[in-house]
Amino acid sequence: MTAVSISTLTFRTNALDSMESLETAISATQEQLSTGKSFQSAAGNPTGMAEVNQLDMELSASGQYVKNGTLAGANLNLETQALSDATNLLQSARDLAVEANNAALSATQRQDIATQLDQQLQQLVAIGNRTDGSGNYLFGGYASSTQPFIQNGNSVSYVGADQVSQVQISANQRISSGDTGSSVFMSVPAGNGTFTTAVGASNTGTASIGPGTVTNPSQWVPDTYAITFTDATDYTVTDQKTGATVTSGTYDATTGGTISFNGIQVTLSGSPAANDTFTVAPAGQSSAFATLSGLITTLNSTSLNAGQTATQIGQAIEQIDGALNTLSNVSASVGARSDAVTASQSTAQSQQTQLQTSVSSITDTDYAAATTQLSSEEVALQAAEESYASLSKLSLFNYVS
Amino acid sequence: MADLLSNAVSGLLAFQQALDVTSNNIANASTPGYSVENANLAEALGQQTGSGYVGSGVDVQSITRTYNEFLAQQVRSSQASYSSSNALATQAAQIDNLLSDSSSGLTATLQSFVNSLQSVASAPSSSAARQALLSQAQALAQQLTSYDSQISQFGSQLESQLSVDVSQINTITANIASLNQQIATGSSAGQTPNQLMDQRDQLITQLSQYVSVQTNTETNGEVDVYVGSGQALVTGATASKLTTIAGAYDSSQLDIGLVGGGGSTADITTEIAGGELGGLLSARSQVLDPARNAIGQVSVAVAAIVNQQQQSGMDLTGAQGQPMFSVGGVQVLPDSGNTGSASLTVTRGSLSALTTDDYRLQYSAGAWQLTDVTTGQSVAMTGNGSNATPFQAAGLSIVTGGTPAAGDSFLIQPTAAATAGFGVELTSPSQIAAASLVQGTAASANTGTGAVTSASVTDPAAWAAGGGSLTVSFTGASSYTVTDGNGNTTTGTYTSGSPITFDGAQLTLTGSPASGDTFTVGPNNPANTGDNSNLLAMASALSAAALNGGTSSVTGAANTLVTRVGLITQQAQGNATAQQTAHQDATTALNNVSGVNLDQQAASMLQFQQAYQAMAQMIQASQQMFTSLISAIGNG
Repeated sequence: MTAVSISTLTFRTNALDSMESLETAISATQEQLSTGKSFQSAAGNPTGMAEVNQLDMELSASGQYVKNGTLAGANLNLETQALSDATNLLQSARDLAVEANNAALSATQRQDIATQLDQQLQQLVAIGNRTDGSGNYLFGGYASSTQPFIQNGNSVSYVGADQVSQVQISANQRISSGDTGSSVFMSVPAGNGTFTTAVGASNTGTASIGPGTVTNPSQWVPDTYAITFTDATDYTVTDQKTGATVTSGTYDATTGGTISFNGIQVTLSGSPAANDTFTVAPAGQSSAFATLSGLITTLNSTSLNAGQTATQIGQAIEQIDGALNTLSNVSASVGARSDAVTASQSTAQSQQTQLQTSVSSITDTDYAAATTQLSSEEVALQAAEESYASLSKLSLFNYVS
Repeated sequence: MADLLSNAVSGLLAFQQALDVTSNNIANASTPGYSVENANLAEALGQQTGSGYVGSGVDVQSITRTYNEFLAQQVRSSQASYSSSNALATQAAQIDNLLSDSSSGLTATLQSFVNSLQSVASAPSSSAARQALLSQAQALAQQLTSYDSQISQFGSQLESQLSVDVSQINTITANIASLNQQIATGSSAGQTPNQLMDQRDQLITQLSQYVSVQTNTETNGEVDVYVGSGQALVTGATASKLTTIAGAYDSSQLDIGLVGGGGSTADITTEIAGGELGGLLSARSQVLDPARNAIGQVSVAVAAIVNQQQQSGMDLTGAQGQPMFSVGGVQVLPDSGNTGSASLTVTRGSLSALTTDDYRLQYSAGAWQLTDVTTGQSVAMTGNGSNATPFQAAGLSIVTGGTPAAGDSFLIQPTAAATAGFGVELTSPSQIAAASLVQGTAASANTGTGAVTSASVTDPAAWAAGGGSLTVSFTGASSYTVTDGNGNTTTGTYTSGSPITFDGAQLTLTGSPASGDTFTVGPNNPANTGDNSNLLAMASALSAAALNGGTSSVTGAANTLVTRVGLITQQAQGNATAQQTAHQDATTALNNVSGVNLDQQAASMLQFQQAYQAMAQMIQASQQMFTSLISAIGNG
């Protein structure tokens, strides 16, 4: 083997090159330590950068969903409060109706109750027109800046929208941040929900008819029926649409009587007179407001016979129960949505922690490794410098005299 | 004795010359490109005597340099590769640094924009949230346009660097040619002008920094230099000039031309490889242009998706939403050599089919041919290029006009100029179309339980063309007829919760409608200021995979761009490091042959010094011999 002669210039440049590259490496390691980031741009870790960008976007979106949830939650809380106030109000209206449903009361006493009920109607309209902190109506649906309930005398109409805005509370979950006034206050089933009952205006007897019940929904034919008494005890039920007699029977005023036909039954009480009529009609939609204002009209009226008054009050109580039931259903749905918001927010928070951990694991400097690397690079540079300093002194010329 | 003296004198002279060579070597120990020189000693021809041939001293036959052409070529090729990778890495790193900031990067800005949409959706009538959305739209526009203008700036710096490199190359090749001439005239039998050859070879290595070259050594010592696939830069004493010429399509992008004998210029851009010139050209085609196109694609996608949704919505004043963003059109650049009168009108069609590539449309053999410039593949087109049935390909719609001549061509850049025209069009927060353009209504006489869940417009143009209203009449519990504003009808089968679609609008019903029930879709009520359905649809559309054949979302495309530039930069930096090592190794290998080792020179110096002293002693010995002879005669 022959020794290669190394040119003096090469010896110097190579030594300097290796020192320079060590200095570059030290500077890169030092940057990792000072910035806390294991790479400074996409070139340092292209796939890592792509992942970090993706994770950062998810983090940012998750933060937005939490904000959305907070807003929706605040709205739902306001709605819960409004629903609870409306429930209390209707509950006390029901108590008043029960109190009024007493034949012993005088017309004046009934009118006093009507005055109280009128107050409650006003309050109920006020609840329906409640706004959130920014002046948006809680029950207006899409038409959030239009007052949803307009009262004209005893009649209250809904002018809001029938759809309600949705809020994105997670990547694949949207909830309604409210409910429309139409679904909360205007969709109260009339009568017992299937049919309504009424007492003929020209009845001369004292009999009244209860709201009735459905015994077999499959047999129910939604037509209007007239129960006509041919004398104080015998009655016929006629389908007003077809004119056919559905059933007939005998009524005993002392025990009270139940009349059943087409899968329903209604209960009469009191004493009917001959030619008295009672009507059973398919139920439409009523509203909490119409129920209260109807009750007020009944209590203020002086022209109704006893049977009509009792029947209408009884029906109003039934409808108030229906309205309360609607409120309770909406409250349950609002509660479920509030829970969904809370659940999605807590999921989002733990997800955010997870995402941040993932981002850190990609971008953060491994201090132990970087510190070890820095010290080994320092040792290498020091060794290179010292060896160069001592080796470059070696020359044959030192010994030529 | 005369021989003794003359031999000694020849030695004195020879070793003096050898010491001259050694001292020159020592003096040039640090000179780059210097090749160590040797004084080649040879015995002088002897004289015939009766007793045989007597030597007549020593001659310096020649002074030669130690040089290895093979190793030198390795140094040059590694130099060219290193310079090329380094130039590419430097250019790519500029874009990489521009795009890489994760806190303020493009993906983060896009996400902030989507978040602002969500904020308005959560509070549709809040003017603060709407103002924040407009500001976020401005921020997005600023970021996109600033990226675009930065990349343009890098591009123009690159172009001026190309010009500088070309003039450097011309200076070097002129010097090589002139040195070639001096070397040819300075060489004579066995004697070479080593200093000139060192200079010339060093210049060729310098030239390799700028462009990769091949060389061929002529018998007279001249070296010819070629680029590309054999285009001569230097032939003997003649240098051919490189020049920059305006690109055939885009005059702002320079091509490299080689000036020929008759003053004609040949475009050799595609032949150029290696060196800084090659690296810059790669950076332009692999990093700068694709990055600009990819950012353009993001701009086009954001504008198309948001504008379409805006027009599907109703703003706070009750009017149909107006486009939120403006965006630059398709750039069509005719070849400067076109001879026909053809012109093109190119518009964008399908967002999903749009690519980040550039295309060339060429008229040849009586037909237009489309080629993807980036991949080199030809692209099939449908249609005939007329107004009625334009050519359709790659998400573009191309209408040709005028009369083309054979060979005429156009460069079509679908997204390159999009970002430069990107801006926010809306001026007032109330113009944000949060609500759906339409609302669905159930007729009050309906007897079924069918209720409207949602009504929306998915294609505002089709909706307007259809007359802007729909009536859905149920002919049975599960069958319906839809009639539009123009009286056109369609029928369908009802499924609760599935949208009923006609004329670019959707109506979703739930529940059980009864036969005879009707539902209408008509203009939304301006009072519905709380309707946020259009913004929710906009946020979803921006996250949907609508680009690149339905494989990536807008943010996905932005992220891909960052990754791609990062990968190119990483690769170029890795290559540059590897090539630098290879270059150092090649240089070391050459220097081990050609370089000066001072210890070796010190040893030579001692050797020649001693030989010189010995020769001087010989002269003294000769003098003593002569003196002894004279004194012997004198005494006698």
